[in-house]
Amino acid sequence: MSENPPNPSNPVKTAGRTQDRASGQRHETGATAAEDGVLLERVKANDQGAMAEFCSRYGSLVYSIALRVLKDTGQAEDLMQEIFLQVWRNPGAYEQGRGSLGAWLAVVARNRAVDLLRRRKPNDPMDEVVLVSNVNLASEVERTRMMEKVRLAMQGLPSEQQKSVELAFFEGMTHAEIAAKTGDPLGTVKTRIRTALMSLRKAVQA
Amino acid sequence: MTAEAHIPQEDLALYALQALSDEEAAVVRAHLKGCAVCRNEVAELSGDLALVALSVEEHPLPEGAHERLMAKIAADAKADGRDAAKPVVSIADAKPGRPVYSSIPWAAVAAMVVFAFALMMKIGDMHRELQQKSEQLAQQAAASLRAQRVLDVLTATSAQRVLLTAAKTKPAPSARAVYLASSGSLIFQANNLDPLPAGKAYELWVIPANGKAPMPAGMFQPDATGSASVILPPLPAGVPAKAFGVTMERAEGSDTPTAPILLAGSAAGE
Repeated sequence: MSENPPNPSNPVKTAGRTQDRASGQRHETGATAAEDGVLLERVKANDQGAMAEFCSRYGSLVYSIALRVLKDTGQAEDLMQEIFLQVWRNPGAYEQGRGSLGAWLAVVARNRAVDLLRRRKPNDPMDEVVLVSNVNLASEVERTRMMEKVRLAMQGLPSEQQKSVELAFFEGMTHAEIAAKTGDPLGTVKTRIRTALMSLRKAVQA
Repeated sequence: MTAEAHIPQEDLALYALQALSDEEAAVVRAHLKGCAVCRNEVAELSGDLALVALSVEEHPLPEGAHERLMAKIAADAKADGRDAAKPVVSIADAKPGRPVYSSIPWAAVAAMVVFAFALMMKIGDMHRELQQKSEQLAQQAAASLRAQRVLDVLTATSAQRVLLTAAKTKPAPSARAVYLASSGSLIFQANNLDPLPAGKAYELWVIPANGKAPMPAGMFQPDATGSASVILPPLPAGVPAKAFGVTMERAEGSDTPTAPILLAGSAAGE
């Protein structure tokens, strides 16, 4: 995201800010990102209207990730409901400064979906998911643009890297299972996954 | 893995992906508790994972899904009393003339204070105990992980097995047995074994130190390189060994060793 240069010295504090001078969206997306915090404050105050707005903003993203993992519309909707209900019941699980709210929800959705897929107990509570991310997903325009950019970056990865990351991320396979499935040594699988993540990071920051 | 030696980024990526085994994840989790550097790295990698999540094709919610979700939230709010909060009556709001504390038996209050204090102490003890158990679990997980890695190396078909001998000397069949009599645990590895005729197999024997009959400890076939291993065969615990031997037997096995003994080693020599 050329409009959103990272700040390695303090990436958390840059979360959700954009500097899209070319499109003039800086003010709009900055305001929208700020609204994430405002919305959460209203949710904490039991404002169901704020929760409805929050679900409208991120519902389809959470649902789409759950659907990609679970491949079942009913299960994906159930999981989407569960995640938003948890946010409603415990809005303090996400803290400002933990990175972009949308990115946080995306990782929480993926982790819960994989837990469900693997029929295992949740590995970590929502409030233990901490990430550094400076992508702003609050604005639909920004989100669509970012998703297109990431898809292109994923498609640009060597096929073995892309496959390893997708098996781990969307199928919830362990590195040992991936090695067994692909016939590659464990070390190769590890390296491919890390390299793929680094490439994605660079592609988005470029 | 200690705070001094950071966990490799590759393993942290797998941890963030929840793609480590339970034992491996426990080791990483224990390390992260005391290592801010690795915690930050995991947070960075989790941010990268959010990017992977964004590679999905975005689908609109199914028809009515938003309404169903909001209905659940409304029902949850009602059940929780969040949308119709009951007025809170403070002690200060209590009717004058009827002080709420006038009828409280002070002995009962004192007993409750003592009970509460005892409860707090108990909770503190339990918390400390839980912390100790967690640390023990992490240590056990680390030990288990190491043991598993040893086994993986010993049993991996892709492992390179090399016997170093004097130059230009043809390697002779040899084997090494590691035996823990107290638990009846035996690990055996052989190299440079001759190929077997059809219908035959090698059999490992434990010769008890108490003079009793040799105990069969497993059949095995060498692979193409002449290597073979027997890992933790079922053996009784508490039988010290005087020696170990290998014979060639029928493929289905034998209750007594058949001469000649092809490989032998005295336990005293180990």
